[in-house]
Amino acid sequence: MQLFFQTIVGGLSLGAIYALVALGFSLVYRTMGLVNFAHAGVVMIGAHVATAFSLVAKLPFALAMVVAIAITGGVGLVIERVLRPLENKDFDLMLIGTIGFGTVLEALAILIWGATGTAVASPVRTAPLEVLGIRIRTYDLVVLAVAAAATVLLVLFLQKTKRGAAMQAVAMDHEAATAVGIHVGRSNAIAFAIGAGLAALAGGLVGPLLYVSPAMGGTLGIKGFAGAIMGGFGSIPGAILGGLAIGVLDAFAAGHFQGYSELVTFLVFTLIIMVRPTGVFGERTVSRA
Amino acid sequence: MTEELRVEGLSVHYGGVRAVKDVSFRVPAGQAVGIIGANGAGKTSTLRALMGLAPRSSGRIGLGDKDMTGVRARDMVRHGLGYVPEGRHVFPGLSVEKNLLLGAYTQNWRRNTREPLAEVFELFPVLAEMRGRLAGALSGGQQQMLAIGRALMSRPRLMLLDEPSMGLSPKLVSDIARVLVRLRDEGIGLLLVEQNAKLTFEVAGECLVMENGEVAMSGRSEQLRHDPRVRRVYLGL
Amino acid sequence: MRYRLGAVAVAAVAAWLLPYGLGSYAIHIVDIAIIFALLAMGLGLAMGIAGQINLAQVAFFGVSAYAVAILTAKSGFGFWPAAVIAILITVAVGLLVGVPALRMQSHYLGIVTLGLALAFTNWVTNAELSGGAEGLSGIPVPPMFGIDLFSEYLYYYLEIVVFAVALVFGLFVVRTPIGRRMRAMRDDPLAAGAVGVEIPQLRMLAFAIASVYGGLAGVLYAGLIRYVAPETFSLANMFLLLAMVIIGGRQSLYGCVVGAVGLTLVREALVEFATFAQLAFGAIVVLMVVFAPTGLAGIPARIRQVATRGRSTLARAQLQPFDSTSHMVSSPAADAPVLLEIQDVTMRFRGLTALSGVSLTVREGEIHGIVGPNGSGKTTLFNVISGIYRATAGRVVLDSTVVSRKRPYELSLLGVARTFQNLRLFSTLTVRENVLVSLDRTRTRWAWRYALWPIGVWRADVGLRARADAILAQFGLAEFADAIPSALPYGIQRRVEIARAMGGLPKVLLLDEPAAGLNAGEVDQLAQIVRAIRGGGVTVVIIEHNMGLVMSLCEQITVLANGAIIAAGTPAQVVADPAVIEAYLGDASIMDDIPIPSPTEVAG
Repeated sequence: MQLFFQTIVGGLSLGAIYALVALGFSLVYRTMGLVNFAHAGVVMIGAHVATAFSLVAKLPFALAMVVAIAITGGVGLVIERVLRPLENKDFDLMLIGTIGFGTVLEALAILIWGATGTAVASPVRTAPLEVLGIRIRTYDLVVLAVAAAATVLLVLFLQKTKRGAAMQAVAMDHEAATAVGIHVGRSNAIAFAIGAGLAALAGGLVGPLLYVSPAMGGTLGIKGFAGAIMGGFGSIPGAILGGLAIGVLDAFAAGHFQGYSELVTFLVFTLIIMVRPTGVFGERTVSRA
Repeated sequence: MTEELRVEGLSVHYGGVRAVKDVSFRVPAGQAVGIIGANGAGKTSTLRALMGLAPRSSGRIGLGDKDMTGVRARDMVRHGLGYVPEGRHVFPGLSVEKNLLLGAYTQNWRRNTREPLAEVFELFPVLAEMRGRLAGALSGGQQQMLAIGRALMSRPRLMLLDEPSMGLSPKLVSDIARVLVRLRDEGIGLLLVEQNAKLTFEVAGECLVMENGEVAMSGRSEQLRHDPRVRRVYLGL
Repeated sequence: MRYRLGAVAVAAVAAWLLPYGLGSYAIHIVDIAIIFALLAMGLGLAMGIAGQINLAQVAFFGVSAYAVAILTAKSGFGFWPAAVIAILITVAVGLLVGVPALRMQSHYLGIVTLGLALAFTNWVTNAELSGGAEGLSGIPVPPMFGIDLFSEYLYYYLEIVVFAVALVFGLFVVRTPIGRRMRAMRDDPLAAGAVGVEIPQLRMLAFAIASVYGGLAGVLYAGLIRYVAPETFSLANMFLLLAMVIIGGRQSLYGCVVGAVGLTLVREALVEFATFAQLAFGAIVVLMVVFAPTGLAGIPARIRQVATRGRSTLARAQLQPFDSTSHMVSSPAADAPVLLEIQDVTMRFRGLTALSGVSLTVREGEIHGIVGPNGSGKTTLFNVISGIYRATAGRVVLDSTVVSRKRPYELSLLGVARTFQNLRLFSTLTVRENVLVSLDRTRTRWAWRYALWPIGVWRADVGLRARADAILAQFGLAEFADAIPSALPYGIQRRVEIARAMGGLPKVLLLDEPAAGLNAGEVDQLAQIVRAIRGGGVTVVIIEHNMGLVMSLCEQITVLANGAIIAAGTPAQVVADPAVIEAYLGDASIMDDIPIPSPTEVAG
């Protein structure tokens, strides 16, 4: 029983990372209608930049994260600007364009930092807490807290600010949005940048939990993506729930199936999606044709 | 302030098709002008080209003493143009109130939206009742009112309306006509593109009749109303 | 035609002579390139032709190669029996991967197929059966009547033969009914279903075909390299494959081949700078997607388009009047059998009730009008009848058969045809092809004939074309047969949509606001067409706002308001009903200048 809860706790912190990744996906999808397969690459760049600044430049962890978010946000802006001509015209092509960008980002990371990765020490050096016989690492709590804060800020931005409303309007009807004076390209760029910033946050936070290497983007991105879909693509609470669920599912699979954990996770994910394609909170996309 | 709209030699090409050929007209300040004709005549293309939403292959556009030819679509609102698109195009996932506020996107929300919002709610009481509802849940007629209200939020000097009667029952059409007449009487200029000639004659004192991308006839509404050519071809009777 | 045969002959000779000029390293690269060309064609057929995102293509490759490896190296099967079994297994996996495609498309399908590909890699890296991370070696050389296929030169000839057959088959599929239906499905799945395209079966078929090509590639790969390891079937290679198809042109098989060969060669040339190569491929894919979405294969077409702008024969084509001389026009007897019955149908969407308790009857041979204010549920009703929505309650009965739970394509095959309020023609198909899609009623289960009896398929297609041309001539569209719909004026596109709907020889035709956007002359022609269609024995149900048209055309009218029926009867009855005047006309005097037709007028 204790193992059960321990596994859940272990899965939650990685789940919080997946949730952040999923948030970035969902935000970009909700506002631009675009599925960004380069998101994984962006997470990976964020992780590398944060690691580089904290290990090499010896910046304090939090500051390194901020720098990473800024730089990665810039990467997001570049991606959006290049793919802008396709916006609202051909989603399949845009999807493939983001896949192309993902490949470019991975190659860049290998060229800059080499193919082998680095291990990152946890920035929090306090001893783990013991609650009811379950060990909770302090860093895990930090991750959960940061993820929660980021989510709250995002929701406030979307619901309460003019730019947030504009971003949602552009997603629904970009021409009508232009007619009321909204700069669609800029709005999309901001959405992309925020999505990239969330990815960088996830990447920076995940350093101490996983091994930082150019290949890490792959599974992180895909699991985050799966989390976003399970929770309902485009839904903010869905992304959180989905990411956490995938994290917990992953932890259980790793415990029982070891090397096959990814296989199991994906089979379960596929089954859930088949039964309920809209995810828990999501949009209707079942094609009835 | 004399804000007059002047259009000279407007042409619009879509690929190989010439949708609008060398169209010229004026909308005097605070007056209503209509453009009628069948679908495919180029009316909607003309309006969209004015707003910068369709590519202009030639033509000059002036508003007041400003040359608008190079102005982008998203800046039209700032120059006092309000646009009510064909098919309403409200933001379905946002509330009625949010939709209206977005009409005033170019304004400071805290300072410049309270009055316009009150005015829109007074003009369309049903919108006030539904202010918290999602715009996508509204009926066609209500969405049309919302679209007009949204355009009014930026306090435009000239409103461009694209087929506001489309898909509406005759009763709703006469409601819309009443609103438009009231706006006209308050001094807001109107450029009304319509297939429904009857509505247009009621609202606009002057009309252009478009056919195949060109202006086939123009004149005072009272005269066009009795012109047998217009009646036969464009009223569908 | 002679020119094309000449080109094929030259290509065949060149292909035969190629190995003579190449060193052993070069021929190895060519062998690999051909394998990727097969993979790329399979991906192109699924993605470019049928519109199904298939990021599991590399997994099909891997399943087949590993199956051969396991069966030969571990279980002692001979190469060719193992190859056959491997391909069968791959097709089974392909169908399995296709199952998600029945319920989702686009990015959802992308992530599921990607996830399944990852799952495959994960399994293969861990399982003992597959040799784990080290892979399996010891695959025997395929025996071939004494020819030693150990030599990569001789292996090339085996590959080129397989490739040629695969290419010809692929081209055949694309240009015949199945390919046309796939392209229609890619362009507009909703409209495709409405004209009878069996969407689920076709999607599965697309994945099955992709997996056959993947299977062939895997078998050839196993026989060539005789060693399989997880890295070959990784995500990195999936993206490379995707790059090949995008850069070459996913909608053209030749494009896929060119992309595959080209990128294989470039990758080999840059093997020292593998990371730079990866960077370059990614960047080129991005540039292609933005500037040349149809890929290299699409460039000739774009040049042609620019060169002939304004000088096309289309500018001089004329719309002919509808040929109604072959039909008698008559209104139905009062006791004609009931063809379509809506029984107490309710339709609810998340709290919004679009239809409540709607019941109506349409008799055979009737022209039945459905009118009502905007938002009254008219199009929703059509969507329920044509299967796009499933009613929350109530039944739809067609010709005594309950059809409430049937899918759009099933209803189309039962004789329901429709047009759409906002015009849904297949945008990359010509006018003739649009009609051909609905004309072609063969079921997907006859797809086996493509492999075993292609001549029959070809002959049937020729017959279909003749019938399509007859329909186009009847509708006056003969001169537009080869045009792409988006190049045509709105009124003509409307007529094409009706012609397409009639192609399926329906029992009942649902017209959704067919007069929207037409001028008075076009509306008159429409009325004439509708009467002639009815004269040919088809029942017509028409949603319209144009009251003049409705009154003169329809024998029976049903009035909807707020999702419920408020009146039904003859035009004269409905117009006089105070409830109708109140809710819809608002003010009875609006109708003063439209003459109410007397019964004899309606019949004519």
